[in-house]
Amino acid sequence: MVKSSQEWVSAAVDGEVNEQELAQLCADADSHEQWQRYHMIGDTMRGELPESIDLDITANIAAALELEPTIIAPQAIAPQENDEQKQSNLDSKPSNVVSLFKQVGQYAIAASVALVAIVGVQSYNQEPDVESPLPVFNTRPLVGSVSPVSLQTGPVVKQQHDFTEEQVLEQRRRINAYIQDHMLQQRLNSGVQTEHTYTEDVNR
Amino acid sequence: MRLFLLALILLSPFSFAQEMSANDWLKNMSQSLTDKQFKASVVQIQADHIRPLVFLQGKVDGKSVSYLEYLNGPPKNAVKVDNKVTFLELDQQPYSIKANRIQGVWPASLSGNIAKLEQGYQFVLGGRSRIAGRAGQMIRFIAKDEFRYDSQVWLDMETFLPLRYDTLNRDKQLLEQTMVVELLELNEPPKILIEASKHDWPAVINPTDRKEAQNWQFTWLPQGFDMVVADNHRLIGIHEPVEYIALTDGLANISIYVARASDNPMPEELVTRNGISMVVEKVGNAEIVALGKVPTETLERIVRSLTLK
Repeated sequence: MVKSSQEWVSAAVDGEVNEQELAQLCADADSHEQWQRYHMIGDTMRGELPESIDLDITANIAAALELEPTIIAPQAIAPQENDEQKQSNLDSKPSNVVSLFKQVGQYAIAASVALVAIVGVQSYNQEPDVESPLPVFNTRPLVGSVSPVSLQTGPVVKQQHDFTEEQVLEQRRRINAYIQDHMLQQRLNSGVQTEHTYTEDVNR
Repeated sequence: MRLFLLALILLSPFSFAQEMSANDWLKNMSQSLTDKQFKASVVQIQADHIRPLVFLQGKVDGKSVSYLEYLNGPPKNAVKVDNKVTFLELDQQPYSIKANRIQGVWPASLSGNIAKLEQGYQFVLGGRSRIAGRAGQMIRFIAKDEFRYDSQVWLDMETFLPLRYDTLNRDKQLLEQTMVVELLELNEPPKILIEASKHDWPAVINPTDRKEAQNWQFTWLPQGFDMVVADNHRLIGIHEPVEYIALTDGLANISIYVARASDNPMPEELVTRNGISMVVEKVGNAEIVALGKVPTETLERIVRSLTLK
């Protein structure tokens, strides 16, 4: 029975019913919600949703908040007051309390949305970090920053122990000396290398 | 339809035969790098910096002359006339060495003997793309083992000059890139090369502090790596005496140093941002340091295989 009624509403949404049936639907308040939902689904599928959808949550939240016991506000305002005064206080400003809660609730929702947005952005940013294009950097922590030598190398050092600053400097000096010498040797050996390949050619 | 397919099958080997092999491309490149007159504006890209340079090459009175200038920072130039390369740098006296090319733009073997590279690399013809406004043909140097890095070169389809050269690490990530941004083929040698050929450059330095090294030997080396130099010199900067051995497979250069161990502990291994790996091993009171653009595992294995004859 439920299913057949759903089908009927669905047909009405699609405009496949006559005027009489439509009038019947208008009279049937229970089907209105379903009618709205079907239209929403149809709009979503066609991509015709407006910028913001008024799902009428506010009414629900307000209703829920009204059901909440109002304890905090009276205590905060007058913790020393006696029961009578408290009663009168509640009578005089009930709307105030509710509206305060409403505001707090709205802020909380807004704040939680912002938090989700930030967390979302962060995790999105972290993703590419995981597969960083330079794994070397992740696995080998940098010992300070290296002053560029003339050949512009910046060694990344794997730190094994806690070195003193002096030791780190000395270590860096030695590493730089080796790297510079390595690069200088390639310059000096460039002649030798070509000679070498040449003699190899001759030998062949 | 069947006839058409048959024709296609019959024709395809012929169309392939017209295509040059990767080896042919590389031989043409080597030839062009030696013979052609050209001007190339180049950028060299390493992890966190870009170095622009200009390179000119030409023939003046039968002499091969080339000129390299780094465009950013303190002036740094190199001039080659015949087999003498002179380095002109701001902070030191100009000095000349004997070499038939200026080191620093393309790997030596690109202008040398391509066959040497075949021991360690497989040449594979890649796709075509546009670089510096020119059509480029890519050729991959695929390492035959895991002891070295892959690289790839793009050649200008007109002149066969290299347009781009990439070095990739084992994870296929770019370590270093040399890319031409403008290439001009010249009919006449440019003025600066004519001037350079007339200039009186300092005589080739005689490396007096280079002494004969010990009789070092390797029980294991990756296929294609040869010892090119072995000597005894002092380290630049800190003037410590070291035993030095240079190895190369044509694209990757490895330096091995044997020195007295320092009081300071050295890191066991590190990788610089421009892809140079360094491995330090302490043997008794000596330390063996190996450097090169190869995986650290390769250096570790080479260091362990070092022995005295």
